Amino acid sequence: MYLTNGMVMGVINAISAIGVSLIVGIMKVVNFAHGELYIFAGYFSYHLSTSLGLPPLLAMPLSIFFVFLIGILMERTLIRPTYGDEMYSLIITFVLSIVLQNAALLIFGPYPNKPPNLVSGATNIFGLFHYGNQRLLSFGISIGILVFIFYLIKRTWFGKSIRAISQDRGMASLMGVDHLKVNMVSFGLGAALAGAAGVIIAPIFPVTPTGSSAISLTAFVVVVLGGMGSLKGCVVGGLILGILENLGAAYISTMYRHIFGFVVLILVLVFRPWGLFGQKTQ
Amino acid sequence: MANFKKFWIPILFIILAIFPPFFLSQYWLHVMIISLFYVMMASSWNLIAGFTGQVSFAHAAFSGVGAYVSGMLAVNLGLSPWLGILIGSAVAALLGLGLGYLCIRMGGIYLSLTTLGFSEILRIIITNEDKWTRGTMGLQVPGFFAEYSKVSNYFLFLIVAILFLIIIYRIIHSEMGLSFRAVLNDELAASSSGINTVRVRVLAFTISSAMAGMAGGLYGHYLMLITPDIPSLGQMFLVLAMAVIGGMGSFVGPIVGSFALEILSEYIRIYGEYHVLLFGLVALGVARFAPEGMMGILNRRWRGRGLS
Repeated sequence: MYLTNGMVMGVINAISAIGVSLIVGIMKVVNFAHGELYIFAGYFSYHLSTSLGLPPLLAMPLSIFFVFLIGILMERTLIRPTYGDEMYSLIITFVLSIVLQNAALLIFGPYPNKPPNLVSGATNIFGLFHYGNQRLLSFGISIGILVFIFYLIKRTWFGKSIRAISQDRGMASLMGVDHLKVNMVSFGLGAALAGAAGVIIAPIFPVTPTGSSAISLTAFVVVVLGGMGSLKGCVVGGLILGILENLGAAYISTMYRHIFGFVVLILVLVFRPWGLFGQKTQ
Repeated sequence: MANFKKFWIPILFIILAIFPPFFLSQYWLHVMIISLFYVMMASSWNLIAGFTGQVSFAHAAFSGVGAYVSGMLAVNLGLSPWLGILIGSAVAALLGLGLGYLCIRMGGIYLSLTTLGFSEILRIIITNEDKWTRGTMGLQVPGFFAEYSKVSNYFLFLIVAILFLIIIYRIIHSEMGLSFRAVLNDELAASSSGINTVRVRVLAFTISSAMAGMAGGLYGHYLMLITPDIPSLGQMFLVLAMAVIGGMGSFVGPIVGSFALEILSEYIRIYGEYHVLLFGLVALGVARFAPEGMMGILNRRWRGRGLS
């Protein structure tokens, strides 16, 4: 049971972490406003489906699309001028996360909101225990998104240009890749992945504006654990952390759920700072 | 002329700083004391961010470490706050050394991620271990002086702030400061000309963490109530905004930024808790369009006038 919960959380962690990892790998920018985008998507899907009465199946992709647009806007107005200056991009995204968090408190209020479930009831799993259909569906959707992302990056022309730019930006642009456009789209994609994780989790665990830093933190731990810029690392790291947090919360203490993530982070930095699948570079 | 300016302007300001307690109301004296606390925080944060390019998000957390260590020693063991703040800043320095040693060799991004994590974890521990820290209720601690007086606290904060500023000024104008700037400008060139870039950065990070610990201890014993707001990310944001808006990488910038934002937030407070949102938007605009902050704009204007 805890293992299954951990796996559901794990794949959602993986989606959110790939959003961070994509941006780090391509632009060497850490998006500290990641958790806020996740929260925004959760609220969008709540308001679209509950306040406006859209069917949840339409509200979910629409929320993700809105967050994608926010990501594009962020890149275009604030992040693009900071390329090559790591310090300013860190400062700007941190300030942005505080601004968005306060904006969310102002717009959505401090109360957690829960969009409607897509399905109800529970299914018996291998005759062992009953498990909520909503969670099973979330698991399925998450796997679908992961497959889609891997396909996008490994098999399409867009993915090829992303990989080319993360290896050698100068050479890639000489070869005719429009690196500014790729940056913008991948920042939007990173934001959209935060949004996807947000809309998937919202019906299971309602989102609140103040929960955003814990969400960013989980994604960062997964990225460091898996190795910066590695997609495979995000999936494995996400699953490890999801299972670990759920087992830890069940057997040690719920209060300290997020402490396990930090302990993992410190252990990785001590013993294997380049992560599970990262490249050992100087 | 340059020498004249270098020595007399600070001395003039110090002499002016002696007078406020004699004509300010208790309320504005309190605002001045809080501003001096932010001067200590923003200037010491600027020492690492502005001068070595390392963005730490644990500066408020380290001030919380200083405050809680000193506060708990005073409450549980009856230790004098004067000794407590020294132990508090030593603990903050040790934690800074550990985090700095682990992360800085991996690059700036890792330091930012890990310090953010450290702040969040510290907040969780403080709110949950309420047996020791009194959680969100806040820890009541004794003050520095047997008889509570804002004037004595003002002078205490003034002296420590001036001491910090002298240390920071000496560091950035010493050989170590030269290597800081070398590391900031061109890491590869600095390391190939024999500067141990990692050691320089870890050292700066440790010194600045110790200063944050001391500032936090002073703040806690002045308010006589230590709450999880001291090590919060909201507080971290204020310190960062003060340095960014005032001018990062400039010695005077964070001092100006601290006074400006603290005094401003007293005026905005009447309209509700919008000052964080407002400062955030201003800081974004400054970081985007004028990365050298208020001091950068002023300097450019002065230089422009001198030419014409």
